[in-house]
Amino acid sequence: METFLDYLKVFAVGGALCALGQVLINKTKMSSARILVLFMLLGLVLELAGAFGYMKEFASAGVTVPITGFGSTLAKGAMQGAKEGGVLGAMAGGLKAAAPGVTAAVLFGFLFALVFRSHSKKT
Amino acid sequence: MTDKAEYREYVKKNAPGSPMFRSVFAAFLVGGIICCIGEGVSDAIKAIFPDMGETDIGSWTTVVMIFLGSLLTAVGLYDRLGRFAGGGSMIPITGFANSVVSPALEYNREGVFFGVCAKMFVIAGPIIVFGVVAGVVAGVIGLFAG
Amino acid sequence: MRAGRQSFKAEKPVYVRSSYSIVGPKEGDGRFGALFDTVLKDDLWGERSYEKAESKMHRETIRGAVGLAGTDLDGIDLMLAGDLLNELSASSLAMRYFKVPFVGLYNACSTFTEGILLGTALIDGGAADAVTCSTSSHFASAERQYRYPLELGNQRTPTSQWTVTGAGCTVLSSEMPTPEEDVRARENFAQSMREMRENCLNSAREEDRECKRRAENAPFSEEGVLGRLRRRLAGICRPSSVSEPVCDTAYRRTHIAKITGGTFGKVVDFGIDDESNMGAAMAPAAADTLLAHFADTHTSPSDYDMIFTGDLGRFGSEAFRFILKNEGIELGDCYADCGAEFYFPHQKTFQGGSGAGCVGTVFNSYIVKGLERGEWKKVLVLATGALLNKDTPLQKENIPAVSHAFVAESEKR
Repeated sequence: METFLDYLKVFAVGGALCALGQVLINKTKMSSARILVLFMLLGLVLELAGAFGYMKEFASAGVTVPITGFGSTLAKGAMQGAKEGGVLGAMAGGLKAAAPGVTAAVLFGFLFALVFRSHSKKT
Repeated sequence: MTDKAEYREYVKKNAPGSPMFRSVFAAFLVGGIICCIGEGVSDAIKAIFPDMGETDIGSWTTVVMIFLGSLLTAVGLYDRLGRFAGGGSMIPITGFANSVVSPALEYNREGVFFGVCAKMFVIAGPIIVFGVVAGVVAGVIGLFAG
Repeated sequence: MRAGRQSFKAEKPVYVRSSYSIVGPKEGDGRFGALFDTVLKDDLWGERSYEKAESKMHRETIRGAVGLAGTDLDGIDLMLAGDLLNELSASSLAMRYFKVPFVGLYNACSTFTEGILLGTALIDGGAADAVTCSTSSHFASAERQYRYPLELGNQRTPTSQWTVTGAGCTVLSSEMPTPEEDVRARENFAQSMREMRENCLNSAREEDRECKRRAENAPFSEEGVLGRLRRRLAGICRPSSVSEPVCDTAYRRTHIAKITGGTFGKVVDFGIDDESNMGAAMAPAAADTLLAHFADTHTSPSDYDMIFTGDLGRFGSEAFRFILKNEGIELGDCYADCGAEFYFPHQKTFQGGSGAGCVGTVFNSYIVKGLERGEWKKVLVLATGALLNKDTPLQKENIPAVSHAFVAESEKR
């Protein structure tokens, strides 16, 4: 029962974030890159403000799977880097924390591009 | 000829817009499901590796989700999902993977070097650049606050 | 002969000697599907890229039109051609195969009517006796050049259009073959098509055998994603499906279509800057050219059996009617937009078809056949082109548009 409730929270919060993005797309005709940047910065600011932790506690994957999670990872890494490694840590910390995601995207993109091609579209 | 401002007004008023309710509902549904899949992946990792730390579980979840997004893009399904769900499949991290992998696939006909590698970030480039810059800003804030 | 500010009338007869069109599979499922000369099964057409496929369509449609004209390449004085790709790569690469002078044209989606107007003027002025006018566009190559990668999961806005995968060619000539010559040309062309098809099938079989041989010798199995990966890495490919042009030998024309004049359009900018709403950007240009045409030739909508716009789309043609209504002109039922009619609604193209191949294929199938059967006596075709590239909207430019119109008439032979 508790697990079900957890998943319901994840579904509701994650869905709501995406629905908010869709409203923005419909209203402002923003392209996908702009939407993604906007939501990433939202996550980053929420992390800096200290609110992201509470949201994560409430909805876990509901806020970390959307790109807001990527922003929060960046901010968290940078703050931690600043604490541990001074200026250099502050510079490298964000990207270091986000490195697994970026690396995965680049790696899979490269590998799949060797095997697959874009398909003909009918819709 | 017709007045230009009047014409622009006509276009603004009469051009067909996206069906608000349907598209937002689709985004909510698909976005929610993708997040639940993410939660499921994270729970599975937790179950398989009980000793793993919180941060590592998060990173692995991200990697797995990006793999799934990339795979669906590569086999030509993610864009169909995107046509239906819009923001619902764009905003989750799988959408980020889609925006990296789709140009890589598109430009592989120009070769690996100047095609795949050079064009991989034509869409996702701003996300990386903004991410890096904002990360440094966050680090500077951390320096002064911490 | 000049007529008014923007128009001219041909003094000599300029005949539509033959026409040919090739389209992709989605277009074949559309409203005009049965009228095209060739419908491809696969929009890559056995090529390695969509750009190459577009160029091949362009080449084959010219070959088809010249074949049906009952002449060979020596009988063609000039080729006028254009497409949407950067620096006209589809048409110029196709032109390598013809030893005929080539003039490249670009006016976006109105390139086809531009070509017909120039061809008519050249023949009328005596600079040429026979010219080909051809255009092509391809959904996948246009999508990559103007919009996003094919696999990107973004939503199309409801005002967007679907670039037509297709190529069309018209042979304009100062002479018309007799009906007997027509029949002979068709039979000869069908024969050469059969031979070419046989050759293609043979070479495909050869390729197939070669592939099988290499696959058998290769140290891995044939099937599955892994096999595909290994084959791709080892450079072993699967042979392409063969779908070569065919020819309907039973087709007979009872009437002759000819081009009798037209109107060159001005570039019109009404301040529309939404690149996903091309119809709205182009409608003012179409209206501008149509009004100029009516004024120059002292005609009105009732003088035409049909008026066709190129690819304004559903909303664009409404906007077009709106502007004309403001000018006191009602088009009524004698108006249709090639793009809006191109696909069935269930094909999910929102506003309909667009691209240089849209009017190019519809004219060379539906409109020419209608004229050659005598369904219409006089039609006006005005295609519109939105003048932008990928950078101009980013530099906060509006989207100006241009439209050229030509008059085609039909007479009993």
